[in-house]
Amino acid sequence: MTELTQYLITGLAVGMVYALIALGFVLVWKSTGVANLALGQLVLICSWFTYTMMKQASLPLWLAFPAVIAFAAVLGWAIERFALRPLIGQPILSLIAVTLGIGYFLSGMVSFVWPQSIGALPQIFPKTPVHIGGAVVSQEYVWAAGISLLIFLLLSAFYKYHRMGIAMRATADDQMAVQACGIPVTKIFSMSWMFACVLAAVGGILISSIGGISYGLVETGLKTFSVVILGGMDSFGGAMIAGPIIGLAKSLGTGYLAHYVWPEFGEVIPFIIIVIVIIVKPFGLFGEKRIERI
Amino acid sequence: MSNTLPCGTRNYEYGQDMAIFRTRTQWVLLIAFLIVLFCVPLFISNFWLNKINLIGITLIAATGLNILVGYCGQLSIGHVGFMAVGAYTSAILTGKLGLPFPVAFLCAGLMAGIIGLIFAIPSVRVKGFYLAITSIAAQFIIIYVIQKWTDMTGGTNGLVVADASLFGYVFASQTSFFYLIAVVAVACIFFAKNLGRTRTGRAFIAIRDNDLAAEVMGINLFYYKMLAFFIGCFMAGIAGSLLAHWSVAISPDNFSFSESILYVGMIIIGGLGTTLGPILGVVLIRLLQVGVTQATPWLHESLTWMSTGFASGITPMLFGLIIVVFLIFEPRGLAHRWNLFKASYRLWPFSY
Amino acid sequence: MKRKYWISLLILSSLLISALLAGCASNTATTSNPQNTTDSKAGKELKIGAIMPVTGPAAEKGKPGIDALLDSIEYVNKELGGADGYQIKLDWKDSAYNAANVTTIITDFTNSGVLMFTAMSSFEMTNAMGISNKAGLPGLAIFTSPNLYNPPVHIYGQVPDYADSWVAFANYYMKNIWKGTGKPKMALHLLNNPTGTSVKDAAVVKAAGMGIDLVEIQEHAATTISEKDSLTRIKSKNPDVLFISSTPQPTSIILKNARDLGMSPQTMTIGMAYASFTKSLIDLAGKDVTEGIYGVYPTVTWEDNIPGVAKAREYLMKNNPADAGNMDYLMVWCTGLISAEILKNAVQAVGYEKLAKGGAEAWKAVEESGFKKLNYDVAGIQGAVSYTPGDNRLAKYIKIYTVKNGIITPIGDWVSTR
Repeated sequence: MTELTQYLITGLAVGMVYALIALGFVLVWKSTGVANLALGQLVLICSWFTYTMMKQASLPLWLAFPAVIAFAAVLGWAIERFALRPLIGQPILSLIAVTLGIGYFLSGMVSFVWPQSIGALPQIFPKTPVHIGGAVVSQEYVWAAGISLLIFLLLSAFYKYHRMGIAMRATADDQMAVQACGIPVTKIFSMSWMFACVLAAVGGILISSIGGISYGLVETGLKTFSVVILGGMDSFGGAMIAGPIIGLAKSLGTGYLAHYVWPEFGEVIPFIIIVIVIIVKPFGLFGEKRIERI
Repeated sequence: MSNTLPCGTRNYEYGQDMAIFRTRTQWVLLIAFLIVLFCVPLFISNFWLNKINLIGITLIAATGLNILVGYCGQLSIGHVGFMAVGAYTSAILTGKLGLPFPVAFLCAGLMAGIIGLIFAIPSVRVKGFYLAITSIAAQFIIIYVIQKWTDMTGGTNGLVVADASLFGYVFASQTSFFYLIAVVAVACIFFAKNLGRTRTGRAFIAIRDNDLAAEVMGINLFYYKMLAFFIGCFMAGIAGSLLAHWSVAISPDNFSFSESILYVGMIIIGGLGTTLGPILGVVLIRLLQVGVTQATPWLHESLTWMSTGFASGITPMLFGLIIVVFLIFEPRGLAHRWNLFKASYRLWPFSY
Repeated sequence: MKRKYWISLLILSSLLISALLAGCASNTATTSNPQNTTDSKAGKELKIGAIMPVTGPAAEKGKPGIDALLDSIEYVNKELGGADGYQIKLDWKDSAYNAANVTTIITDFTNSGVLMFTAMSSFEMTNAMGISNKAGLPGLAIFTSPNLYNPPVHIYGQVPDYADSWVAFANYYMKNIWKGTGKPKMALHLLNNPTGTSVKDAAVVKAAGMGIDLVEIQEHAATTISEKDSLTRIKSKNPDVLFISSTPQPTSIILKNARDLGMSPQTMTIGMAYASFTKSLIDLAGKDVTEGIYGVYPTVTWEDNIPGVAKAREYLMKNNPADAGNMDYLMVWCTGLISAEILKNAVQAVGYEKLAKGGAEAWKAVEESGFKKLNYDVAGIQGAVSYTPGDNRLAKYIKIYTVKNGIITPIGDWVSTR
């Protein structure tokens, strides 16, 4: 019984971390229609920047955090301005490939600036683990879950009520019409990339305070796509629900199938889910169905 | 397209119009090129022969990917996964079952093609990003199976691959492999060139440009998409088979995800949907890699004040930058530049 | 128009023919070339190759690795007079921990007059050994796993491998730590590559014979972010001892998660193989989590007061002060010394001329009279190296350490790994 609760709690906690990164993807997709495949690399580079701020420059958290956020925003702005804006109106293949190229570039930059392959952030969250009904979970996960919920609520509210949010939704719907209404589309594109990078930075800080910084973060980014696909690419709520589902599938799958399948089955569960979802229900649980016959 | 003829030159027969090599000069140049190509091992060191062999193998796989992405418009970012399928199929068939190399070679292609078809099923319903993600998932699932199916694949320790042999002749040296690879590569390129001119190739292009319109015109989307995946993955499979026998030992780590991205980069840089494109892209990227590998120790020892990551952080940065720059400034790739150059050369001194 | 074609045709064909002729000529010329290379005494050197993951995911090992190798070769050349008077030239390449790069590099080595080569990680050696074994180029693996010489061909292990370190740890545990009655219950948490799987292979075969009850084996990926569920399964078996063979980063996650689940050095014995047992593990996981864990390491530490370490420290401080305190540096420093010893033996046995020719003959000589005649104490920094026929593991001794106040402290003397 304790085993089951432990699997459930771990699954939910890990899933919330995935959900947080997925939010960054959905944000960009929703407002610019670009599928960001450089997600993992963004998380990686922001984590390393946090490392520099906190470990090498040994700034306190309240100083380091704004610095990281500012860095992420500048990064997002630069990516949008120099790589994506020239490609507005290009076929989807170019848009996907350009994010791949950005990812490649960023991973090179990481090994350029931070040649060491692993790093550990100083302790941000209290060490004592939390006990939930016989299961144990580290504080990092609890904080990660809380923060992703908070960000989800903020984002939803922003999209629902704020002028800019509404403009972003409108842009995603019909760029031409929005432009005709006098809404600066390019500014909206910049904004959404900046937001997405900030989300990646927050996710990066949380994940790397759990397990240190390493190239593994790139693969974590790729696994996050299962959350996006399952939840629907344009739904924040979908990501928040799909994240825990993937987390649970991983921990329960490895927990109870451990003796029937090859070891480490959990590592491919997200990818298997991707294939199944795309075959069965391509637009995910909450994604908007495009009426488009291919 | 690039096949427009110079002003004043006309074709009078259908056969003439269809010919790839129209004039006698072109034929002579072709034959001269082939002779030069097959004389290459006489002149260059083993070191460079080894690089050329790698370029040849990459070219076969990239040509396959180009048919899938460039002609048919189905983005696949898991191409190296299918190469892995081919490599392991060939290694297991020759090593464990003792089948002759040509059989294993073909089976490698077929196996990769069939696995490719499985992951192509979603392409019936989705395209673009969804398909890209499926292919990424395909790569990770394939590599997982290879890593864990230790009885067959040797797991993470990898496999030592038996020598390739054809009718008793053993391909052991770089030179002998050069001929094997060159023959296969030339055949693949010729196949790709011709495919683009057949009904199938035109159907692929129609699907790429507008699949809805293509279906309205009576093109069976399911059949042609599947066919494109099969051909693309088949070529990846035979390239994988050659890679396995050429590199003697294979392990799952030979087939990394970043290599898959690099393949997409190569065909973009070269020019999607052209025969020349993959050749230029592959040669450029592989030569850059050689340059960086050779320069690294030197950079490390002479630029000690630099960050240690300088030397090889520069590789991915450079490749990433090249991909982005080409997408922005020359989405039609090097092949297009080459055609422009050819046209301006032909028209010189008239400027248009 | 016509004439232009004909002229270009003519030029082309003449070029072709001359090229063909030149090719045949140069082909015969190169085969006769190497014989007349050696009359002058100056610049006589012996070349060794090295594959190092200086960048990429294993950079924290490759960086000190290449520093140490360059320093030790400098030391050998300057102070020991090279290998029997001949300077050693190091031809090293960065693999970026990438298998395709390794394949390219090793193929280059077989073509470039290298007499022997080393590779930092067992991963690189695994990918290199197919080609080098086929060519006959002997290799010295620094971090070793049993698959490299099983069956023994041309690859030799500089230090005891991960399976050996499990054996050494298990022996030590049974003798000195286990105080209970009956069989101790052991769980393994292993990385999903030869670093981990070789321990599994050894443990499955040998545990019962050593009186150990192997209750649970879990594997993890290098990219893991949580091992809570696998540790839950381990905890449900209630083991007395947990052995980890992995690299520092995943190990730090395992240790932290285990602590949360109530498995810590205070409540059970935790031991680990040497790939993860370094200072960076203590940095990553924190002092309190690592306090009291056991580990094996194939060399002495920097604190040991022996002349060999003092010499290494001298060069470290002179050239690479940033690596101070790094244990991998010491291990690779030994690689340089052993390589020099191998070349010295070979040169003394067959002479410089034969080695300078390179190729299969020279490799065979290096292997037969270099590797197989080794009997060297490596300045006392690591266990002495010698060759036993049929067994390519050169070193037979290892040390047991524990973490005390955040410092890796030795307990006891060298222990046998057999």
